[in-house]
Amino acid sequence: MRIEKCYFCSTNVYPGHGSAFVRNDAKVFRFCTSKCHKNFKMKRNPRKVRWTKAFRKAAGKEMTIDSTIDFEKRRNVPVRYDRDLVQTTIRAMKRVGEIKARRERAFFKNRMAVAKAKQRAHRQKTLEKAKVSVMLHEPMAINETPKIKEKIKVPSKTRSALVQGDGRSMGMEID
Amino acid sequence: MIGLKSTLNVIDNSGALLVECVNILKNKVNNGWGSVGDEIVCVVKKARPISAASQASVNAVKVRRGDVRRAVIVRTRKAVRRPDGRIIRFDDNAAVLLNNKREMLGTRVGGLVSSDLRMKGWGKIVSLAPKVL
Repeated sequence: MRIEKCYFCSTNVYPGHGSAFVRNDAKVFRFCTSKCHKNFKMKRNPRKVRWTKAFRKAAGKEMTIDSTIDFEKRRNVPVRYDRDLVQTTIRAMKRVGEIKARRERAFFKNRMAVAKAKQRAHRQKTLEKAKVSVMLHEPMAINETPKIKEKIKVPSKTRSALVQGDGRSMGMEID
Repeated sequence: MIGLKSTLNVIDNSGALLVECVNILKNKVNNGWGSVGDEIVCVVKKARPISAASQASVNAVKVRRGDVRRAVIVRTRKAVRRPDGRIIRFDDNAAVLLNNKREMLGTRVGGLVSSDLRMKGWGKIVSLAPKVL
């Protein structure tokens, strides 16, 4: 029995889970879920998809160089069962896990220390921007002048063919 | 999932390159679809040209375009579930040509084959294949 790693997101794939794709050059791609399989079929690069382990490692968001990571390894030599060996291995696994968790927390804290200053600067910037926009909202000064209605004289006697008048009909004039 | 009119690559050295399925030989539960290890009847759609040298030899197999032959499916694009729970899918559909006695026409298999073949009684093909998965 072997716990494989997903080709796309590098999570564990336990027996009976996920699917495998075999290319014609006999390279096997294992996937944890159909989501990863679909992303692979879309020819997406796992290093460019933000939720994958490959991206997080490439972007410096996770520990990459650490002695605790090297314990998890693919070993192709079968080991004969030994009760004592299993016990010590399990104890070691727990201890390594503890150390790894502590180191990861330290790494995260270290990473976030920089982020805090950055965020503060960003907030300051947005606050200043908001101040400027408040000034724009002030009401404008109104200098009103009283409106005087002016009467425009329209000449009353205008001839129009469209308007009936002077005893003439709108028909054609025939002599 | 091989059915009528599906085309398969031929991965042996019989001379055929591409075959088209015309019938899936009945077994109890295939529901009309062929999978890895199933026997089919196929038409050779594309074959390697027969050279004069190979024609002269005694036991040369002549597979020409238009021949109707039997074949066994060795890879499918459709994902297949194995008894141990893993699901496996290949890049293409592929077959190996057979004669009337259900023996291979060619003498070599070039390319990987599914390990389901051994389970279905095609151990000869599995042993000839360069890679079994």
